[in-house]
Amino acid sequence: MKFLSIFALLLFVATPLAGFAAEDDKVHQGIFVENPGTDLWRDVRQRNFAMEGSSQVKSVDSNILINPQGDEWARFRVGVLVRFASITLVIITGLLLLHYVTGGRMKIEGGRSGRVLLRFSDFERVAHWTLAIIFLFLAITGLMLLFGRPVLIPLFGHELFSLLASASKEGHNLIGPIFLVSLVLVLVRFVTRNIYASGDLNWLLKGGGLFGRSHVSSGFFNLGEKAWYWILILAGLVISVSGVILVMPNFGQGREIMEMSHKVHSIAAIVLIAVSMGHIYLATAGTEGTLEGMKTGYVDLKWAETHHDQWAQECQDKNLTISSEEFARLQGKAVDKSSTVAKEQG
Amino acid sequence: MGSIIDGSLWYFSLTVFVIGVVWNLVRIVFGKRKADFSIPRDSAVAGALRTLISRFIPDRHMLPRISLQVVAGYMFHLGLFVLLFFAAPHVRFLDEHILGFGWSPAPHWLFIVSAQFAFLGLIMLWLHRVINVVSRLISDRGDHIAAILTFVVMLTGCLALLETFNELRLLHRLSVELWLIYFPFSRLMHAFTFVPSRMFTGAWFGRRGVGS
Repeated sequence: MKFLSIFALLLFVATPLAGFAAEDDKVHQGIFVENPGTDLWRDVRQRNFAMEGSSQVKSVDSNILINPQGDEWARFRVGVLVRFASITLVIITGLLLLHYVTGGRMKIEGGRSGRVLLRFSDFERVAHWTLAIIFLFLAITGLMLLFGRPVLIPLFGHELFSLLASASKEGHNLIGPIFLVSLVLVLVRFVTRNIYASGDLNWLLKGGGLFGRSHVSSGFFNLGEKAWYWILILAGLVISVSGVILVMPNFGQGREIMEMSHKVHSIAAIVLIAVSMGHIYLATAGTEGTLEGMKTGYVDLKWAETHHDQWAQECQDKNLTISSEEFARLQGKAVDKSSTVAKEQG
Repeated sequence: MGSIIDGSLWYFSLTVFVIGVVWNLVRIVFGKRKADFSIPRDSAVAGALRTLISRFIPDRHMLPRISLQVVAGYMFHLGLFVLLFFAAPHVRFLDEHILGFGWSPAPHWLFIVSAQFAFLGLIMLWLHRVINVVSRLISDRGDHIAAILTFVVMLTGCLALLETFNELRLLHRLSVELWLIYFPFSRLMHAFTFVPSRMFTGAWFGRRGVGS
């Protein structure tokens, strides 16, 4: 009897345990429930191309439920593109700083001559600065949109960034098409002076004198300036066309074209921003007297002889140089007689 | 801050603008002038109206020298006119807050294109003012403030285009209010004074039988 009682007790305890063990097995095996949607969603989602279906909505891409290429584009935008942009801009900034620190500002050899010559007309300077202002606005707003997630959100938080992003996007989209107009103005006005001429190759082979500190003979524009001009025009046109495709999505272009346009737009813009940093550096901190050409239209004769000796010679042959006093008069400034006398005596 | 911009500052700026503009115009139109004793050779009224219209067309001898100002000037002024009076948000605002009635706004694409024309025109005009020696010498601080303030108004409007963020709308409205306060004391008054100015000149010449 005692034995039977112990057996019954063990049976009582063991039965639930066996039940738990059986449940554990069930859990490990999983419960299979027939879901008719599974295969459908697998077909829709787990593939590397867009599956076309049918829809009552008649518009571009409306028959595609999920476009896997969109994921690829999003990964490219937040990953590759941001890395490419960061590395490019950091390298360019570093190179320019290095050049400034090691070589410093390129000065006019022998100082100013006291005679100046007209380099850019009023219209050319208006066209240049119009393009410059619009380009800088677009570059700043574009970079704010690109670096929003990795840089601006940690700095400003989501709420302020969403406001900045909205403002940047609207500003970028509205001002963007004006860039094309100002680019065409610059293209038309400066194209004849930016065509390859004999002697340009020699300038290139000598590195433009940038690193050796020896100046190389050139005409109105040297090959470096011509290269900048054509990079600006070509990259600018690529940016403009891809930008128009992006900002006007009502011409039947699908997502793939938009994504491709965005990639092309961003890469060309980063390249142009990087090269423009070099242009801005060389025209301001990098070279003495260059910015004056775009501010007043006139440059010093010595500057011209240093950087564009062939053009300077042409101007001298045609007697196109004027004295700095005459230049001051043309600018509506009072002439400093004492400095003039000192210069003549010295 | 938002309530001040939407409330008291708005009413203050509107009051300054209206009183300032009316006062300036009354002063110009009804101000004391020397009596004209010349023998009338032709109609002064016809001359006034003729000059009011003819000044819209640039002189053909001058045109090659002023083509930039003419083209950019028309781009800016026509763009701004469409932007100001036919942009849907502005028509709605005028209807709800000032006039009590509205009209059909321009389509969105026209609104955007006119804004682009206005921006490009204003930038080029201001650059010409700074770059061209003669323009620079006849310009004073007030001209630059007027141009920059107008640009800021347009820019803040452009940034608030999505009409989603109240802060951006307030920024635009604040810049408009500063513009309205500055308007009567500045060259911005030419938006109104160009009419009496041209008409007085035209009447003066017209009375003497001189074309202008």
